[in-house]
Amino acid sequence: MTAVVFEQPAVLQPKQHGKPGGFLRHTSIFTGLAGGIVLATITYMIGSKLVPWGTQNADFSQVGLNALIAATMFAWVIGFMAGIGAFAGPIRWALGHDLTHDDAEYMAGKDQGKFRYWKYTTDHKVVGTQYFVMVLVLLGLGGFLAMLIRTELGWTWSELFDPNFYNSIIGTHGIVMVVAMIIVVTGPLGNFIMPLMVGARDMAFPRLNALSFWLLFAAVPPLVATLFMGGIRDGWSVYQPLATQAGMGMVGYQVLIIVFAFSTGVASVNLITTAVTMRARGMNWSRVPIFVIGIIASSVMGLVWFPMYQWSQILAMSDLVVNSSFFNPVAGGSVWLYENLFWLLAHPEVYVIVVPATAGILELMTVFLRKPLFSYKLAIAGFAGVVGISAIVWVHHMYMTGFAPQVGYPFMLSTELISIPFGFLVLVALGTMWRGKVWTRLPMMCVYAVIWNKVIGGITGVYLSDVPVDQYMHGSMFVVAHFHFMLMGAGLFGAMAAISYWFPKMCGRMLNERIGSIGFWTAFAGFQITFFSMFVAGLQGQPRRVLQFDNMFNVSNWISTIGAYIIGIGMLIFLYAIITSWRGKTYAPANPWGAKTLEWQTETPVPLENFPVLPVVTSDPYGYGVPDPYDAIEKELARDDNAAKVPQ
Amino acid sequence: MSTTTTTGPLYPTTGEPVAVNARRNRLGVWLCIVSDLTGSIALLIAYSYLWSLNVNNAWAPPKDAWASDVPFFLIVLGTVLATISMWWGYKGLVKGHKDRMIVGATLATLLILVTFIGQIVQMSTFPFDIQDGAYASSVFWLCMGSAIHLSLVLFFTMATVFRTKADRITPQNPYHARLVSMWMTYVCVVIAIGALFTLVMKESPNTNAPTFGTFTTAK
Repeated sequence: MTAVVFEQPAVLQPKQHGKPGGFLRHTSIFTGLAGGIVLATITYMIGSKLVPWGTQNADFSQVGLNALIAATMFAWVIGFMAGIGAFAGPIRWALGHDLTHDDAEYMAGKDQGKFRYWKYTTDHKVVGTQYFVMVLVLLGLGGFLAMLIRTELGWTWSELFDPNFYNSIIGTHGIVMVVAMIIVVTGPLGNFIMPLMVGARDMAFPRLNALSFWLLFAAVPPLVATLFMGGIRDGWSVYQPLATQAGMGMVGYQVLIIVFAFSTGVASVNLITTAVTMRARGMNWSRVPIFVIGIIASSVMGLVWFPMYQWSQILAMSDLVVNSSFFNPVAGGSVWLYENLFWLLAHPEVYVIVVPATAGILELMTVFLRKPLFSYKLAIAGFAGVVGISAIVWVHHMYMTGFAPQVGYPFMLSTELISIPFGFLVLVALGTMWRGKVWTRLPMMCVYAVIWNKVIGGITGVYLSDVPVDQYMHGSMFVVAHFHFMLMGAGLFGAMAAISYWFPKMCGRMLNERIGSIGFWTAFAGFQITFFSMFVAGLQGQPRRVLQFDNMFNVSNWISTIGAYIIGIGMLIFLYAIITSWRGKTYAPANPWGAKTLEWQTETPVPLENFPVLPVVTSDPYGYGVPDPYDAIEKELARDDNAAKVPQ
Repeated sequence: MSTTTTTGPLYPTTGEPVAVNARRNRLGVWLCIVSDLTGSIALLIAYSYLWSLNVNNAWAPPKDAWASDVPFFLIVLGTVLATISMWWGYKGLVKGHKDRMIVGATLATLLILVTFIGQIVQMSTFPFDIQDGAYASSVFWLCMGSAIHLSLVLFFTMATVFRTKADRITPQNPYHARLVSMWMTYVCVVIAIGALFTLVMKESPNTNAPTFGTFTTAK
């Protein structure tokens, strides 16, 4: 038998250039904002002298002005990233000035107090917390816009908003919520919890981790600016040729997606590499917590499909600002090309949202039921099936576009097929609950809600995937209700479950469950009222994305609006529970739920390097009630010891 | 039981063996390649989709002024030679010849620089403008994609020269040079596929294209 032993000599350090952290000692969000504003202003001033504003393309949109706005927005992003210090790392690397251990610790935020949250900090816990706050802000913005939409639709006897403004509210609400939901689990929990769960000291690429968050941060102002530049009037899908004919607001949308796709790609690379290569000793693939599997599955879909969406927007921006001809049929372009590229991501994106939330609820169910996961392998098969089949379902969004009608039925079949792996996941959840003694806490309450919502959303999705049914339902409020049941009902409520479960580890405080539960159940009740009523309106034939509708839809819309306000009140109560608990004094113990996974085995608040000594995994993460083999060995040794003490 | 002791260089920030860190980086680069490949496929889908449909009979550029084939393949040739040079340097490095790495990476940098300039020249001398129909737009963006890839490669090859000179890339720790070579090999493949598309897909096979009429630009 041969053993290979790595000696641990003192680690040779590269030359320390100045104080640890170097250039990054002088950068923060404030220098980033200054850099972004200065570069954007300079670009705008120079560009406005060079670009003929009045230039129009064949669709009479302002090509010159669009180009100027696009250049200004990209200048903002580049200036912000330069100002916050994102380029310092690559430049140092290229010049051979590698980071020392002290540099790395400074960049991870050591001894910087709360100011580390305002800097280009690489520690995964800081990045996770930054994502958490960003998610709350985006959900708040998207939710506020949803309230405006429902107010307009509930106020059926008059118009509150100008129709163009109403359209831009719809589009902005859609894309803000899609972005927020994509990051709601993988952002805060993927970054904060997942490395702890696999027993790692940090993410595989800490600087990329910071890059992914700050790219997202830089991409948001262009989106918000669109509201003041004509808005996104074509829904979140911004179909062609409407997008090319749109005004400057469309540029903000395109900049957001192009930059956000980089952010997502970088984050996906990081999450997958961390989960695959940084697992603790003893954590073989059958011992990997199911939440980690969900994060991998979600990241794979984002990594593979997001570039399609990104390129659809790059080419659309090219049409908008330099008058190229990708999507303009007059000049040889095709609107179907756009729709294919768009939906190649935009359908898998549903699973990018729902899969990690589902994995989160499966993870916490084992804790609150004190049972192993019912068929771990079936859950893996479910995630693998969703990832695989999600690649071949996108055309079901295009049945009514006239695109290749003969492929409708194969895609109908593939879409119905995906309900099988999703069914696996529901079965695993139900099987885990079967005959279990439930410890009913807030996270577990959310699980019931998610299962209910997912079943409703899934069943109505099967209807919509049928070509004949879709011919009637397409573009109706029925579709709106369906995808809200999936994205909000399964995705957001699942995220609420996961956040309330991991809140003690992330924030170091116990979440006020009394207030949180009131908020959660209020939001759940409002959700059912809003969207069941919307199903009715859809079945009656109310089209989506319209400001004015027939009086026959009034009652459904009044009910939906009342429900939406109830959701809003519930969410505000839940937010209040988060904020007051976070600022409160009810400190959380290291493992308040008595869970077996690794993130709960380290102290709270989590130290900079996560674990004093890297853990070694010796048992199943869900082996509740199963004695740890090392405990048995210790008992055996103790018995032998006692036996040895007995006089012969 | 016999015990062998292995003392390898350690990664300064984490104290792990550099080989462990290199394995992690290699997976990261492979994932980046997968993601970049999907984006490149999106461009190739756009090119072939518009070529096959010939919407409004507007695929072809004005007066059938197609782009010349030769520059595409000169750009592929430049990238391939740079990649060979990089691999040659890397192979020398792992045999202990650090100077060969510096020569190989420097040569690769120069070749990529010339190729990048060639790419810009090609784009500025097309016999059409980006606004001249679907073919023109698609070819411009294929070339733009190639230029973006080349600029990234230029950064990496220059970094390899600097890092080798600064003893960050050594025979004991050659991993970054290997990753750059891997990336360059991928870039060769993707640029070659793009060039192949422009060579074999010129005239659209759809001679009975649907027409949508014309607009005039407002003055």
